[in-house]
Amino acid sequence: MSATIETRELRKVYRGRAVVDGLSLTVGEGEVFGFLGPNGAGKSTTVKMLLGLVRPSGGEVRVLGGSPDDPGVRAQLGFLPEQFRFQTWMTGEEFLTFHGRLAGLAAAEVRTRVPEVLARVGLAGRGREALGGYSKGMLQRAGLAAAILARPRLVFLDEPTSALDPIGRVEVREIIEALRGEGVAVFLNSHLLAEVEQVCDRVAFVKAGRVLRQGTLRELTGGVVPVEVVVDTLSAELRAALARLAEVRHIDENVPGRAALELWVGREDILPALADAIHEHGARLYTLNPRRPDLETMFLDLMDHPASAPEVARA
Amino acid sequence: MRKALLIAELSLREAVRKRLVVVLLLLTAAFVGFYLYGVWRLEGTLAQRAIDAGLESRSSTGAANIPIMYAALFGMYLVFFLGSLMAVLSTVGAVSADVENGVMQSVLARPIRRAELVAGRWLGFTLVNVGYVALVSAALLGGIAALTGYVPPDALPAVGLILLAVALLTALTVLGSTLFTTLANGIGVFVLYGAGFAGGILTAIGSFSDSPTLLTLGRVASVLMPTNSLWLGATYHLQPEVLRQLGAASRGANPLFSTDPIAPGMVLWAALYAALAIGLAMWRFSRRDL
Repeated sequence: MSATIETRELRKVYRGRAVVDGLSLTVGEGEVFGFLGPNGAGKSTTVKMLLGLVRPSGGEVRVLGGSPDDPGVRAQLGFLPEQFRFQTWMTGEEFLTFHGRLAGLAAAEVRTRVPEVLARVGLAGRGREALGGYSKGMLQRAGLAAAILARPRLVFLDEPTSALDPIGRVEVREIIEALRGEGVAVFLNSHLLAEVEQVCDRVAFVKAGRVLRQGTLRELTGGVVPVEVVVDTLSAELRAALARLAEVRHIDENVPGRAALELWVGREDILPALADAIHEHGARLYTLNPRRPDLETMFLDLMDHPASAPEVARA
Repeated sequence: MRKALLIAELSLREAVRKRLVVVLLLLTAAFVGFYLYGVWRLEGTLAQRAIDAGLESRSSTGAANIPIMYAALFGMYLVFFLGSLMAVLSTVGAVSADVENGVMQSVLARPIRRAELVAGRWLGFTLVNVGYVALVSAALLGGIAALTGYVPPDALPAVGLILLAVALLTALTVLGSTLFTTLANGIGVFVLYGAGFAGGILTAIGSFSDSPTLLTLGRVASVLMPTNSLWLGATYHLQPEVLRQLGAASRGANPLFSTDPIAPGMVLWAALYAALAIGLAMWRFSRRDL
């Protein structure tokens, strides 16, 4: 996998205090990467170092194969800052035209691209209004439009849905998925773990300026798929059959006529065998639900017990 | 350079769109109109006195016209003062305000060098400030000429020195904007401006009282902040011979006007100082964390 972002032992020290302390991570080409951590973990400082806004105190950082201090590298980046403050005296179109010119787009391309991205973020027909009259959600959409305006190879989105309603969040998710489809890498910094779960190929957990773990969701859960199973009755034979196929983590028989089980299977292709076993033992199957790894549980566990976290796929 | 020009264009559009230019032009028109009305009434009074004294006309460069000459001089002092205020107030947040409110992050994530951004901001604000002072100077001196027929002897070099002072103040304010918060920068540049003014006063008193210490202190303050020296140099060009003789007779007791031309070295230093300030601003901002 060629790296879009690669940092090695990256450090930033402010007045003797390390905000980012030996951070190493890798983001691949065209990958949607979730960057997770509690407040004060050094996420924003890391993003700023990746954009050349803050100078590292130590370590190495390479973005798109070069230094973020190089304008040629930054020409291929898009950025939606968490604090989306823009020149409110401009109209939406003027704002995007200014950013298009800054990014080096030709005048003709700016003229065609601005209405395209305005429509893509749901601001079609609002481009001639002053940004000062935009709601917070509209400003965030305008910032997102600016981030994708110059057809970047890598987009940094810092809390991109913090001011958006549920419809806006779905739209942003669709934009991220469309970017992935176009081969654009996305570095997503978000507190909304469900959002990260839905769109990210890989995630990294950071705390106190260090990466605790990084990898795909599957890798982070050790390759286990949690499966929720509900049957009408759980005989000893069925239980033994299921135990041969999966690790039985929990059984709940408190509801009359129902037995709920939590199973962990090593591979998804075991799921049909589970259904076959239940059927062969004469039980009626009400639920067989393979769950995605629960990022929130993993996040809380890691933040509470970081020392117990094994490093996964460390760069 | 293209990016610097884009930032300069942004600064100009910002000045227009935030109505800075409109408000300034309206208020300045009111000021110039008010001042010229006073000059017009003064001219009427002087003309009536000449008629009462049985004179057919009075010389525009003679002693009878000294009130008009002083009106032009003090009027230009007000232009210099307003221009200095404008240079500092309009530019005080040129860089720092955008850093403080977060606008700078999305701009500098683009392929623009920070030095280009500083150069563009300086260029844009210098064009606004210098253009403003040039316009007001032309309006005031042109108005006085139209109403009274009096034109200062060397108006162009005088206005040129005032414009250099405004450009220097703009450069120093941009430098401060890359070093300090907006408020601290405003206070700092005004204190520096005050130091230059104090230098002129110390030099005048030192000259009047023949005190080498005061003269040295005045020179130090003038080197530290040459704006007042540039103004005094401008007044030399704005005064006809009769006013210079009056000033020489009083041994320079008036700290607002000078009877000596400015030293060429001081003009060069002011221009170099402005260039150094912008160079330092570019260097400092290029190494600053946001």
